[in-house]
Amino acid sequence: MNIEKIIDRSYYWIDDRARKTSLSLARTLSRRHFISRLGVIIAGAAAFPLLPVARSFAQSSIQEVGDPQSCDYWRYCAMSGTLCSCCGGSYTSCPPGSEASPITWVGTCHNPADNRDYLMSYNDCCGKSVCARCSCHSTEGDKPVYFNSNSSTVIWCFGTENTSYHCTVSLVLGTIDE
Amino acid sequence: MRLVTPLALSLSLFMPLVSAQITPEQISIETMPEPGANWFISKTGNGGYIFDANTGEMQGLLSLSRGTPAVTMWHPRKEFYAAETYVSRGSHGERTDIVAIYDFDNLSPIAEVVIPNHMARLSVRNHLGLMNNGRHLAVLNMNPGHSVSIVDVQDRVFIYEVSTPGCAVIMPVGQSDFLQICGDGTLQLIQLDLSGFEENRVRSETFFNVIEDAVFDRTARSADGWFLVTHGGTIYEVSTSGAEINIADGWSLVSEDEKGWRPGGGEFISAHRELGLLYVAMHEGEVDTHHEQGEEIWVFDVSTQRRIHRIELEVPVRSLMVTQEDEPKLIIGDGEGDTHVYDALSFILERTIDTPGASMFEDF
Repeated sequence: MNIEKIIDRSYYWIDDRARKTSLSLARTLSRRHFISRLGVIIAGAAAFPLLPVARSFAQSSIQEVGDPQSCDYWRYCAMSGTLCSCCGGSYTSCPPGSEASPITWVGTCHNPADNRDYLMSYNDCCGKSVCARCSCHSTEGDKPVYFNSNSSTVIWCFGTENTSYHCTVSLVLGTIDE
Repeated sequence: MRLVTPLALSLSLFMPLVSAQITPEQISIETMPEPGANWFISKTGNGGYIFDANTGEMQGLLSLSRGTPAVTMWHPRKEFYAAETYVSRGSHGERTDIVAIYDFDNLSPIAEVVIPNHMARLSVRNHLGLMNNGRHLAVLNMNPGHSVSIVDVQDRVFIYEVSTPGCAVIMPVGQSDFLQICGDGTLQLIQLDLSGFEENRVRSETFFNVIEDAVFDRTARSADGWFLVTHGGTIYEVSTSGAEINIADGWSLVSEDEKGWRPGGGEFISAHRELGLLYVAMHEGEVDTHHEQGEEIWVFDVSTQRRIHRIELEVPVRSLMVTQEDEPKLIIGDGEGDTHVYDALSFILERTIDTPGASMFEDF
């Protein structure tokens, strides 16, 4: 037996033992066992640095077309309010010093760039004086105040420290085919 | 020269005496006279401007908060009631919602009642309603669930907050009851007891579909109840008999050959209760144009359900209201901020009043 065969057999033995031990652990350990959780943490930690890349990839998958400071921009199809993109923010960010309301109204908008329909969330940015620029009022699919989840005329500054209305952003929650 | 000098001297002494004979003017403050026929309140972002529609003269101003939904009144006590919301530092700081009470004589705040900071803060007439007994005032809340704050405006106390999930709008009926419109296509009746607490709650049958053709949250008081209208122009007259909700069969504002005309705008519907006349702002447009301002005002005889006149407008109408006098006026607020007074029976334009952006009108 030469040295190469000894190394091969050692590798094979180590590989085989590792496989059998993994199978044995998988059969005997519960999902809540310490070793299982450790494995999840290690795997999660390894994947964590990838997340911003994945998020970046997901965001760039929405093709944007048009002027975000115009009421005709595709994201604003169910929008009523002033555009944060005209007020020091963007269509996904509140202007400096304002506070994003976690409670929103929703709509479905068609993106002409990729010909897909997207579920939109309209969040009010609150806690400052109203930014009286780029005022838009679209009533597509708008319902009266008694059906408030689809009512664009409601002031949605709820769940914030300050309830003054400043402006509105429009976030994509997903596509309707998801 | 001997003569000129004494003459000049005497004149110089005489002139101050002449001035002294004019009594210096004193500043004074007016008191409101008794309200006259066809007086109305024009509600704007900074208050309620009170006008006499017969003369076009302004009578005084009610200072109201920017988030005030509406203002109402009770003539026997000579008081106005408004729901108001304030933030201590203008745009930030502690929020305080109140019901403010103003007197007729000076239009001054004479009392206030603190209510939960849940007011919907939208300029909608039916987000505020004084029960027909003149005692309990209801204020619509959104937080974001719907509820109603009840205030005893006679005893100046907050009673309690009634939870009304899925239902909004306050339409007083009976003595101390109110109807609401609900998202499931029904009406809800809340009956209050003598103390202002909820005594009974009734739900109607489903009579509209909010997705296919929603009922507007802008309504008009009728002789026996309220007129409701859908985005497509179907009118329903609703009323109550005790704890029973009555919904009359719907009828359309629009004939077959006028398809494409729709009601819409701000406070776009009003009725003269005694004469049975209904005034609705109409525009030509597609589905979902329900906030578009009216190009015309259509006038209907409710008893025959027939249109009796079309008022064509140069500037689209944002809000309208008809006064309840024997010789009523139709008050129209246009999209450019002007207020026009029409004879509500001959439909002739009588005058235009400059009001800074009226969002609605209230009969005084």
